[in-house]
Amino acid sequence: MQGEEFDLEQMEQETEEMLKVRFLTEENATFSRTEGGFVSLTVGEEVYSRVHVVRMFPFTDPQHYISIRTPEERSREIGIIEDIGKLNKDTRNMLEEQMNLRYFTPIIQKIISIKEEYGYAYFDVLTDRGACRFTIHMGGSSIVHLSDTRILISDIDENRFEIPDVDQLTAGERKKLDLFL
Amino acid sequence: MERIKLPKKVLSMLQGHGIEPEHILKISATDMTTECEYADGFVILTASKLVILLSAPELNVVRHFKGCSFKDELEMEKDKDWAIKVYELSSIQKIEVERQVACGILVAQIQEQTFRLTAFSNLYKKKMHELVRTFEHLSEPKPDFLKEEKEEKEEYCPNCGRMYPNPDRKICPKCMDRGSIFLRIMKYFRPYTGKMIVMLLCYIATAALNLVWPYLSGTILYDRVLAKNEKFLSKLGLGGGKFITALVLVIGMMLLAKLTIVAFSILQGVFTAKIVAQVVCDMKKDIFKAMGQLSISFFKSRQTGNLMTRVLSDADRITGFFIDGAPSLLISAFTMFSTVVVMFTIRWQMALVACLLLPISLAISFYLRPRLFSLFGRRHRAERSVNSQVNDNLTGARVVKAFGQERREITRFSRNNSKLKNAELSIVKFNNYFAALYTTTQELTNIIIWIIGVTFLMKDGSMPVGLLITFVGYVGQLAGPMNFLARVFHWWSNSMNSAQRMFEILDAVPEVVEAESPLPLKEPHGEIELKNITFGYEANKPILKDISVHIPEGSMLGIVGRSGAGKTTLVNLISRMYDPQEGAIFLDGKNIKELSFHDLRRNVAMVSQETYIFMGTVEENIKYARPSATKAEVIRAAVLASAHEFILRMPDGYDTKIGSSGRELSGGERQRISIARAILANPKILILDEATASVDTETERAIQTSLNYLVRGRTTISIAHRLSTLKDADFLIVIDNGEITERGTHKQLEEQRGTYYKLMELQKKALAMKGLE
Repeated sequence: MQGEEFDLEQMEQETEEMLKVRFLTEENATFSRTEGGFVSLTVGEEVYSRVHVVRMFPFTDPQHYISIRTPEERSREIGIIEDIGKLNKDTRNMLEEQMNLRYFTPIIQKIISIKEEYGYAYFDVLTDRGACRFTIHMGGSSIVHLSDTRILISDIDENRFEIPDVDQLTAGERKKLDLFL
Repeated sequence: MERIKLPKKVLSMLQGHGIEPEHILKISATDMTTECEYADGFVILTASKLVILLSAPELNVVRHFKGCSFKDELEMEKDKDWAIKVYELSSIQKIEVERQVACGILVAQIQEQTFRLTAFSNLYKKKMHELVRTFEHLSEPKPDFLKEEKEEKEEYCPNCGRMYPNPDRKICPKCMDRGSIFLRIMKYFRPYTGKMIVMLLCYIATAALNLVWPYLSGTILYDRVLAKNEKFLSKLGLGGGKFITALVLVIGMMLLAKLTIVAFSILQGVFTAKIVAQVVCDMKKDIFKAMGQLSISFFKSRQTGNLMTRVLSDADRITGFFIDGAPSLLISAFTMFSTVVVMFTIRWQMALVACLLLPISLAISFYLRPRLFSLFGRRHRAERSVNSQVNDNLTGARVVKAFGQERREITRFSRNNSKLKNAELSIVKFNNYFAALYTTTQELTNIIIWIIGVTFLMKDGSMPVGLLITFVGYVGQLAGPMNFLARVFHWWSNSMNSAQRMFEILDAVPEVVEAESPLPLKEPHGEIELKNITFGYEANKPILKDISVHIPEGSMLGIVGRSGAGKTTLVNLISRMYDPQEGAIFLDGKNIKELSFHDLRRNVAMVSQETYIFMGTVEENIKYARPSATKAEVIRAAVLASAHEFILRMPDGYDTKIGSSGRELSGGERQRISIARAILANPKILILDEATASVDTETERAIQTSLNYLVRGRTTISIAHRLSTLKDADFLIVIDNGEITERGTHKQLEEQRGTYYKLMELQKKALAMKGLE
């Protein structure tokens, strides 16, 4: 019954690997753009035709601890980039492009109006991506306070919008937002 | 089916590529470039081509997301430049929607490479998924595909053209008739019509007496009695000179008037309190009843506790307005109107001045009040964070102590606490400022009126003292109703919002609906068949894919799979916590959708790792599924569940209070109580969902023995990580990624040498290691 022994060993090896943290640096990893608009990775012998770029701390530390993962549904971590600022500019841009799309969140710069009607609130705002009107469900978890002054808003389709600093808004705008603060 | 209208320019571009409108199978709009800018675009699928059209990014256009847009706005002719990309379907192996954190990407596999076709906001997520399904249907036709298409919902309000925020509940927040909400609430008051009338009469009487009061205390007292008016005496039928008697009489009348006012307001208060308490109670009962009928998914999708407490306090708010606000509104309007009329008849010049000056204090209150509300809001939030921290520390006291973090928690607390103090201080500060300003303006108004009045009095004596006092009395009476009217609109809209939230719960349509005339199910055999089940919590993300299993009467099915594979979801479908999107489940050959909830759930019992103990005694908890059980039956069930011994070790035995406010039980103890519950329920079908996962080996053995008794004569479905638990299963299935990957008896699966075999070897080895220790 040699097959069975081999099987087990391999499984244990896999488990062991799962417990390892591998840091990716410019020396051991090479990223490049793919024809399809994604990013590929070569680490030593391993070649990944496409990887996912995922932040571990998307709100509190977006530039550090970036997990590079395989793209399938049950994805596996290939390695971690400790500080994206330490990579060369080209690689950094490449990875940031991927993350920008992944974490796409327009920043609200100006609140034009907020109307509450029967369980929904209608927002009319100006974002860094242009003017947006969206609807949120009241009383749910549509408004998340990331800090005392930072707010993440999810509309009924779970599109996200962010107010990075409530104190930067005018008094009039804050008043409109008062209901949610 | 609703169709997206394509701009003419797009149509002609398509024609340039040989695509006529009738070739189009599916269109989805799209709204983002892969560089994260908003743009307009379309993804168009025909039988042979996939076309992506995208405009240049636009910053100066307003984006309308779900719930905000109007139908006509979407259909606007879009005259812009489009970049077009045409893919031949023959070159595409697969298209797929890849979900991002807050948007999506449409990707295609072309010659073993993955390409990003377009990005889109979640607004078009559903349409994109439909497009992907249409594409899949082209390569691999599915029989019930057309049925899916038909289910598309009209998503716009027919009245104003606005998109429904929630297409399942066709209520347009904008057009929802406030009048109809009002009438619906009035229904709650109908049983108390008599009491309401008494209450209203009290209000009217008080208002009328209040109107008479200044006349009595001013004109009559000063100008008739104290001014020694003989005519007045004869009117009263008193002889000449009997002014003392007249004074006593008038004072007696004044006293009587005041007493009557007080009596009426007490009476009105009592009736109000009675009606409020009853209506609030009725409303809460309805809300709770509606909650019970809602499907599990409702509770999963919302922050339940938050929502419920809010709705329950809403009941108070609604009733408060209806019983207090609405009558006061009527009375205030009446008082104000009649007072103003009386004032003008007394002396129009002074009335005019009063009517011009009074609104000033009103304006001050109107202008400053919102600021006060926002300060109140701040205090409320500060209060909440202090409370939640205290709560957090109480429940987590052990962790705080274990890590020696008391000092940090104290710092955190004092920070929150001083925030609360500051909020409190600013309220007091503002309140003083507000009150000072308000009373000063009011006093000033009064002084000005006095001055004018006195001028009249001194100049030609046309204004007797009593009349002046009467007049000032009326002015004073005007302030209250005016203030009320300034406030009432805020109150009204608040209570209407509360009412709307309440009706949202009352009107919520359960996703799992009981059959209208259910088939009878007397003594089921317990044969279960699952036919082609597909299910996902979100429509586009199936957790279970095309599952078919047959479980004969009295047999035991074991389900194996990693966590998250869909095992628990599968058993939840059997007790109809959810309904599958495709396929059906049969019990004794009857579709479970046609059975009544009561019959179905009485015959299906679940013992899961998530045991819930209700507030109450041990006995009540065991009897939960069958409250009519006798004490002897409860004891028997507890013995069989190996719970009897530990129950008796507690000083109060079966009467021990357990649950959230009672004695804490260990995981194994809770588990045994829930097994006793299942034994007592005596179901035909038993579901064991990791029933022994959270207990130690010894307890597991005890529970296992009880379970072995429990499964006898029943159809059992058992989910377990530890394969040893499943050794009695008649046959097993292995679920991976929502699909059945292996099925058969122990022996067959062992011989297959697949996942099951691997798991078994692994666990054997783990057990061997334990033996060595």
